Amino acid sequence: MTWETIMTHKEHMATAVKLAKYALDKGETPVACIFVDKITNQIVAYGMNDTNNSLNGIAHAEFMAIEQIKLRFSNDHKGFAEFCSNCIVYVTVEPCIMCASALKQLRIHKIYYGCGNDRFGGNGTVLSINNNMSTLGYDGSIFQQKSIPGLYRREAIMLLRYFYVKENKRSPNPRAKLDRNLDTKNFPNINWSQYMDRKLFGQEFGLNNLRNYDSMTDLEDYKSIDWDLIDSHYDSIVRDIKKEIKQFKQKENKKLKI
Amino acid sequence: MVKKIHNPLKIDYKNCIIEDKLLQVKNFENNDIPDLIPVWTLQINPRDSKKIIELIRSLQDKDPISLQHLKRIQKTKDNKFLCVVIFSKEYMEDKDQVITLLQKNDIKYNSISDNVLVPRFAPMIKELVHQWGKKYWPLTWNGNPNDQILNDYVINMDSIKNMLQKIANLSEREYTNGNKFPIVTAFVDPINNNVKIVTTDKRSCKDGFALDHSIMLAIKKVSTLQKMFKENKDPINMTSYLCLNYDVYTTHEPCSMCAMALVHSRVKRCIFIKPMSMTGALRSDSGDGYSLHDTKVLNSKYEVFQWLGDEYANIPELDPNVCC
Ligand SMILES: [Zn+2]
Ligand SMILES: [Zn+2]
Repeated sequence: MTWETIMTHKEHMATAVKLAKYALDKGETPVACIFVDKITNQIVAYGMNDTNNSLNGIAHAEFMAIEQIKLRFSNDHKGFAEFCSNCIVYVTVEPCIMCASALKQLRIHKIYYGCGNDRFGGNGTVLSINNNMSTLGYDGSIFQQKSIPGLYRREAIMLLRYFYVKENKRSPNPRAKLDRNLDTKNFPNINWSQYMDRKLFGQEFGLNNLRNYDSMTDLEDYKSIDWDLIDSHYDSIVRDIKKEIKQFKQKENKKLKI
Repeated sequence: MVKKIHNPLKIDYKNCIIEDKLLQVKNFENNDIPDLIPVWTLQINPRDSKKIIELIRSLQDKDPISLQHLKRIQKTKDNKFLCVVIFSKEYMEDKDQVITLLQKNDIKYNSISDNVLVPRFAPMIKELVHQWGKKYWPLTWNGNPNDQILNDYVINMDSIKNMLQKIANLSEREYTNGNKFPIVTAFVDPINNNVKIVTTDKRSCKDGFALDHSIMLAIKKVSTLQKMFKENKDPINMTSYLCLNYDVYTTHEPCSMCAMALVHSRVKRCIFIKPMSMTGALRSDSGDGYSLHDTKVLNSKYEVFQWLGDEYANIPELDPNVCC
C-alpha cells in the first residue's frame, strides 16, 4: 500500500472521529462512521449512534448510514447492492455482531475501524462475522471480508472514556471512585492476530511495521494521541459531510447523462 | 417457583422438551469450563464460625449472585483454621466497606482475601462437581441446574400455539402471493397486549431492501410506536424500554444480524419453528454454532425454543443459504 493511500485512510478515519466527537457533544454514544466510494474516494453516507434518542436499540451508526444509501435507491435493488459492494466503511469502533452481519450481507468492500468493541465486537473481538461461514451475502454468496483495526485507536478509546465518565456523573449511584477518574495514559495492547494475519497486516501497513504486529503495539503514526482532534468541537461537521455527499451525487448524475 | 412435581406442564428434563413440543435451545459449548467470579473469603478460628454463619444467612438474599451451590466453609490445609466464603465481590467491591461491615457485626478473623475465584453456577453434570470442587472451591450437588430453569419457565401453550398459527398462516399466504422470502415474525409485549406487531420479510418487495428481515422491521416498528406513545404522553401504553421482556415468535431461525438485534433489544424469549442449519445463529448446531442468545461474553440470556410439532407444516421451505 502506498503512502498516499495510507494517508487517505487516515484522513477518512479522522472525519469519522470528528463525527463521533460531535455525537458525544450532543449526548449520544460517541460512535460514528462514514461510507466512502472506493472508486472516487468520496464520502457517500455518514452515521452516528442514535440509540438514546430513537428509543431503538439497533439504531447504530452503521445502520444510520445504510438508511441514507437506501433512500437514494428506493426501488432499485440492483443499484443499491452494487453501490454497497463498492463502499469502504470507516467506523470509530469495531462493528457489533449485528452491524458486522449487516455489512457482510450487504457485501461491503472493506472496513476500517479505530478500536475494538470488547463487549459486542463482530469483526474479531468477540466473533469474526466478516470471516465466518454462516453469514452470507444477500445473494447467498459465501466470502471473506477484510476488516482492519487500529486507525486512531487511542482517540476512539478516549472518546468512549469521555462518554462513560460523563454518564457516571449523571447516574444517581456512581460506581467506585476508580471509574470516575479519566484515564488518559493507559491503553490496552492490540492483539493484531485476532483481527488479521501477518500477511494482510504487511499489505495494509507496510512490511517495515510488522514489528508492531508482533509486539501488539499501535502503529507509529497512532502512538501519541491527537488531542486536538478529540477535544475540538465540530458544529459544522454534518453540514460539511452533507456538502461532500451532494457533490458526489451531482457527479454521479452527470456521469449518467453522458 | 413451583416444585417440580406440582408443575402442570409435562417436562422431559433429559431432552429439554416441554409438552413434547418446545425444545429448549441452549448453548452446549464450554459447559465443562466454569465461569469464574471473585468472592470475599475469611480465614477464621473454628470457634468463631457461628457469628459468621449468621452473617452469611442474613446477607445471602441480597447478594446478586446466588452462591447456593458452594459449600461455604472448608478447612485450611493444616487443619487448624477454617476458610469461609462470605459473599461475592459483585455484592461489595470496596475492601474498607467489607471490613467495616465485619467490624459492625463483631466478626473475628485472621485474614481477609478477594483472591478466590469460584464457579458462578453449579456444573450441569454431577461428575464435574468433584472436579471443580478440587480445582476451585468445594461444591454441593442439587441436581442439574437446568432442571430448575426448565421448571421455572412460564409457558402458556395455548397462546403460543395461537401466535405460531398466525405467523404460519401468514407465511403461507405471503408465499402464495409471490414473496420469495416468506419469513414472518410477531412481537408481543406480555404486559401490554395493545402492542402486538406482526411483520413479514420485505427484501423481495419493491420498496424493500437487502436487510429488511422481519425481525429488524419489527424492532423498528416497536421503536416507532414507543416514540409515538412518548410524544403523546400516553402513560398506559408507554410501558417498556426498547423491547424489554417481549416475546418473539418467528417462522425461521434468525440469522446473526437478527439474533444479535434481539440481544440489543432485550427481548425475553424467541420461539422459532424452522431451523436454518446453515445460516441460523441460535441452535448450537446451526451455522457457526453461535447460540447468540446464550453467550457468556455477550452477557446475553434470552430464552429460545424451537417448536418440534408438525402443526405448522404449511410454512414454505427456504433455500438453506438464506439469512432469516
Ligand atoms: Zn452495531
Ligand atoms: Zn435476519
